[in-house]
Amino acid sequence: MLLVLACIGLATGLGLAFLTHAPNRLVSGRPIPLTAVVGGASLVALLPGVALLAGPFLPQRRSAHRLVAAAAAAFLVALLWRAGAQAAALAEIAPRAARTSLGGGFWGLFICAALALVDAEHRLRLRPSARFIAGAAVAGAILLLAGSGALDQLAIVREYAARRSVFADAVIRHVAIVFGALVPTVLLGAPLGILAQRRPALRAALFPALNLVQTIPSIALFGLLIAPLSALAGYFPGLAALGVAGVGVTPAVIALVLYSLLPIVRNTAAGLDAVSAASVEAARGIGMRRGQIFRYVEMPLALPVFLSGLRIATVQAVGLVAVAALIGAGGLGAIMFQGLFADALDLVLLGAVPIILLALAADALLDLAGERGRRRPA
Amino acid sequence: MRVGLARTMMAAAVALALTAAAAFAQDAVRVASKIDTEGALLGNMMLEMLEAGGIKTINKLQLGPTNILRSAIIAGEIDAYPEYTGNGAIFYSLQSDPAWQNAERGYARIKALDGARRNLVWLAPAPADNSWVIALRKDVATENKLASMADFAGWVRAGGAVRLAASAEFVESPAALPAFERAYDFTLRQSQVLTLAGGNTAVTIRAAAEGISGVDAAMAYGTDGALAVLDLVVLSDPKKAQVVYAPAPVLRGAVLDRYPQIKDAFDPVFKSLDQATLRRLNAQIAVDGEAPRQVAHDYLKARGFLK
Repeated sequence: MLLVLACIGLATGLGLAFLTHAPNRLVSGRPIPLTAVVGGASLVALLPGVALLAGPFLPQRRSAHRLVAAAAAAFLVALLWRAGAQAAALAEIAPRAARTSLGGGFWGLFICAALALVDAEHRLRLRPSARFIAGAAVAGAILLLAGSGALDQLAIVREYAARRSVFADAVIRHVAIVFGALVPTVLLGAPLGILAQRRPALRAALFPALNLVQTIPSIALFGLLIAPLSALAGYFPGLAALGVAGVGVTPAVIALVLYSLLPIVRNTAAGLDAVSAASVEAARGIGMRRGQIFRYVEMPLALPVFLSGLRIATVQAVGLVAVAALIGAGGLGAIMFQGLFADALDLVLLGAVPIILLALAADALLDLAGERGRRRPA
Repeated sequence: MRVGLARTMMAAAVALALTAAAAFAQDAVRVASKIDTEGALLGNMMLEMLEAGGIKTINKLQLGPTNILRSAIIAGEIDAYPEYTGNGAIFYSLQSDPAWQNAERGYARIKALDGARRNLVWLAPAPADNSWVIALRKDVATENKLASMADFAGWVRAGGAVRLAASAEFVESPAALPAFERAYDFTLRQSQVLTLAGGNTAVTIRAAAEGISGVDAAMAYGTDGALAVLDLVVLSDPKKAQVVYAPAPVLRGAVLDRYPQIKDAFDPVFKSLDQATLRRLNAQIAVDGEAPRQVAHDYLKARGFLK
């Protein structure tokens, strides 16, 4: 695995442009290779990369995996540092409108290094809490780098600087919509899952229906909800005053709830399915009532599977909210689409990269919660 | 007893907050715009002028495409947004009416229709035209002495090496390329058109400017920022084959009744935005990448609309 990553990383890093420099935001930039970015003293930035290249050939011991993990983390930060430094150097001699963007070479090296880090963590069999700390450490280092102004001349950061408050609002909106959809989903889906697990007839009717909903393309579902919701808000002005509307957040949340029901309901039912009959028998034997059995035996044992379903639903929701920007729901998707319509790729990335980071963060946090759930005594 | 009191106080606080929010929402003017560069520019100008006049605003800019905004303002979910007079033909299915080809008559038409049927008020339009145009790469235009669509048509008929990058909508919509072809008597073959899926003029303009895939002509909108900066010649349309799309602010009648001073705030601003000015400002946002709010603010300040 590491060998494959090393090959792909090397091929893209050397073959594709590390950065591109364009005279303005619209026209294509001229490529700047990796060799132009690291020279002289900054060659030290390449050292972690060399360690990564050696990684596949080291004996498979824990110390080797730790070395690879540390080298990968250092390389991620070093890549950003060099990219930012080169952009700053170019900005000193170029007009204000010129843009330096991250190129294919950068992304190839960055993603391969990140995957190498994940691979090393996996080989070290780290617990979710340890993985979370490692991820937070890398993120913290990158934030420090960004905070020191080292990355300010990269095109994506310049796009951010031009719309700081819009970006902040978009992130808050995006998270709020995801939350606003997940809470009703859990409140509705968990009981449905419990009922479905106890009544096979309901299960046979509900699961195919939920599967069907998943196959509907998201933008189609958003579009289909506009007309009935507008009519509803028209007939009941009270609803309109509450903020129910044909466009915007309402159809987005409703559609998200429909999409998120499947993982929640199925995983609740599957989790309860996995509770062994012996445990339930034993509980009944010591005199627990139905409600107590559910609360003290079934729920703790089913919790890990339920949390795994919540993870899936959350990551899916973070991605789907991006599409909801097309029907006026706002969020990071709006920034992405502005970039698409203006043919400004860095603006698209300003919307897309935070979405990816949000999804990764949500996944990591829920993984952590799942670990806690597994470690609690039943 | 204590718990009950705490709960009641919390409920009261939440109720108060909601009423306050609702009250704020009632007074504030919700300004929206389309998800493109010009929408950001004009929307931010409207926000700046409202706030300078002491009117509370809620920023709903870059909300979505035209149909989303239209349904939102009709349903009363937004209060104001910049729209194009020519879209009236689509809103009321009057595409065959020749009034739309004329700036004044088109504006009068949509103002009358929306005022009577929807209680929507169209304030003064900008003296600009954001309709479809075809832009040629400068060296091709100079070499063949092409300045208008008539020249272009003659060149195409004579077998000129034209390759047009355009969206599927531009190629198929009877109001777009077919309208040009009918008015100026020329036809472009399939091989001479590079059809793209989305209506992204930034991509088509870039393709023509850089000669990607042999493209030398691009579909563009009249006020596109890139046209001011890149080496392209915009072909004039003397026979008025295209509908006039003049940008103008549209407001809900109820909002204008509550704040009649909005008319005096918006009218001089929009009247000052001619074709060249809009292109220049759009270029600052789209090509130079400056913040739309800042560009709008600086322009209003420079022209004395903001103190």
